[in-house]
Amino acid sequence: MSKINRRDFLKLGITTGSILALGNSKDLVTKVFGQTDTPKKIIILGLDGLDPNLLKLWMDAGKLPAFSRLRSEGSFSHLRTSIPPQSPVAWSNFITGTNPGGHGIFDFIHRDPENYMAIFSASKTSETTKTLSIGNVVLPISGGKVENLRKGKAFWQILEDYDIPATVFKIPSNYPPSPTKQRTISGMGTPDIRGTYGIFNYYTTEPAKINEDIGGGKIHEVYVIGNMVESKLPGPINSFKKDRPDSSIDFRVYIDPVNPIAKIVIQDHEFILKEGEWSSWKKLNFKMIPTQSASGICMFYLKQIRPEFKLYVSPVNINPGDAILPISTPKSYSEELEKIFGHFYTQGLPADTSALDNGVLDDGEFLKQDDIVLKERLQMFEYELARFDSGLLFYYLSSSDQRQHMFWRLIDKEHPNFDPLLASKYGNTIENIYIESDKILDKAIQKADKNTIIMVLSDHGFSPFRRSFNLNTWLKEYAYHSLINEWRQGESSLFLNTDWSKTKAYALGLNGLYINQKGREAQGIVSDGAEKEMLVREIARKLENFKDPKTGDKPVLRAFISKDVYKGPYVKDAPDIILGFNYGYRISWVSPLGRMPKNIMEDNTEKWSGDHCMAPEVIPGILLMNRKIKSDFPALYDLAPTILKIFGIKKPPEMIGNPVI
Amino acid sequence: MGKAKVKIEKDLLDKVKKYAEMSGYSSPEEFITHCLEKEITKLEESDSEEEIKKKLKGLGYIS
Repeated sequence: MSKINRRDFLKLGITTGSILALGNSKDLVTKVFGQTDTPKKIIILGLDGLDPNLLKLWMDAGKLPAFSRLRSEGSFSHLRTSIPPQSPVAWSNFITGTNPGGHGIFDFIHRDPENYMAIFSASKTSETTKTLSIGNVVLPISGGKVENLRKGKAFWQILEDYDIPATVFKIPSNYPPSPTKQRTISGMGTPDIRGTYGIFNYYTTEPAKINEDIGGGKIHEVYVIGNMVESKLPGPINSFKKDRPDSSIDFRVYIDPVNPIAKIVIQDHEFILKEGEWSSWKKLNFKMIPTQSASGICMFYLKQIRPEFKLYVSPVNINPGDAILPISTPKSYSEELEKIFGHFYTQGLPADTSALDNGVLDDGEFLKQDDIVLKERLQMFEYELARFDSGLLFYYLSSSDQRQHMFWRLIDKEHPNFDPLLASKYGNTIENIYIESDKILDKAIQKADKNTIIMVLSDHGFSPFRRSFNLNTWLKEYAYHSLINEWRQGESSLFLNTDWSKTKAYALGLNGLYINQKGREAQGIVSDGAEKEMLVREIARKLENFKDPKTGDKPVLRAFISKDVYKGPYVKDAPDIILGFNYGYRISWVSPLGRMPKNIMEDNTEKWSGDHCMAPEVIPGILLMNRKIKSDFPALYDLAPTILKIFGIKKPPEMIGNPVI
Repeated sequence: MGKAKVKIEKDLLDKVKKYAEMSGYSSPEEFITHCLEKEITKLEESDSEEEIKKKLKGLGYIS
């Protein structure tokens, strides 16, 4: 049986992917494109979510010696983040030296004005429309494709124009990777093999204990019969078949009748796990038709054997050694890393926050999993650092962001989900990831010579997320949004119950609010010009004046009017108002997809307890350099021009930032 | 708005009448209309919403 190669997979449009003009290097070690031996070198550490207040606290306490050294020998500054401070937006500011008006990424979620439908903002998949059907089998004739929707030129593409080599490791907002001959591997935004951001599988004899509508995972009810469990592991949709079923692989678990161990048999793998033990990576081939299969990798975690059986299986990741979707440039780069380090997480954000939020993994189990992620990535950092001798090296850390999202509740006694017992055990989780970050920085400092510029940045800081704001409910209460049936409020999302003929505004995404504009929205009623202008300013003012009845605080600190704060050719696609939430506040869990519960304000009782979708001034990022930072309050979009200046390249006119050194 | 008749079994109609009254609906027709609308809403919501939810839930920002 032959494996599906990337070209075939893309033709089928099974998940996502794009056809890139990649090199066909057969070398084990990929060559960096640029050949110029640069007089200056840059090492950039992108430490997602590192907060300046916490960093200063622990630097002053002597817990972060490498950061302290960089602060005293160079500079430490707050870094202005993006509006809104969501990672895809913020990292796109960094990558392109523009703001959302220049790169077109405004939120995790955009909307289609023709049907008010939510659209995924980062990438777009187009399936092939030309197929040949033979019986129940569908064969593609032409290719599908996946597009990275970020506009603007990435700084490493500009370096390429000047023959300056760059290695860019796991930077967010770069899936599929921008076409380049530089060495890059994609990060946040990279899907699992099913085309999602990560759907785990959980096999248990007590499925009722887990919410049936669980987000980010699939619950499978299983039975232990004669000390054996049988089930299936879902794979990608099988587009070779007319009815497009999920592909799957059968597996069996043989349980030791006495000891807390079990043997798992799946395809050609047979391995024994103790209760509470993680497996190594297992490579699996999902059969599509008798002659074709798709390769993926996953890990098993045997959570419990008795009295109830509980087995967690990680999302099936794209196999870096045989990638069916484009995850690196050149393609051989992910293969090179796989040959040296074995399989590794390719999914954009691998820490399984959904499994923790839903009780499938507990705090300790989640941290154990994220430790695996961290260990894999540290090994690759050391590898890249060791061979770095020219140009630019960018390295990205996701664990700092993910752990702050999930463990803020244990450092914040005012959080609705604060638990003193858990705090005594896991309350230092966030501090520990700052200490790990310090160790990474120390390695970079050790490597740097006098010609090496070190730049450490985060895309945003962090705030507690205690109270949530139902923006669409607010719009209805303030008579900007009308329903067809009042009694159906809260039942549906995506505005199925909206009376557009009487609706002036609606909200989609984590920070965005749109006017129902005539000529732009399919059923718009507000005229562009003075009417819209007045309405936008009226809504923005009322939002900023609204008070949380429980606390008396204002949930919305800033309501930004997009045309006032964005610059560039894509401002026309922006939400009309971007909400900047106050410290402790965020959009609710259900408002981003248009749902409208009865109450405007709710407590956030989830484990996901820290966040950054606030006003930018509430959660600035960090910038440290081993050079003097001359700007008083540098911004993310200043850093691409800074990088170019260091290499003696004039910034292109579309970049709105200015060099900070 | 035009109206159309739909045939249902008498046993089911008896149950509809009973539960419509118990639940406070003004008529069996209103109860039936509500039930059908709820079911249709579920179907209409299905594909694209589920698609984007699946993608985003792995990120953790929505539920």
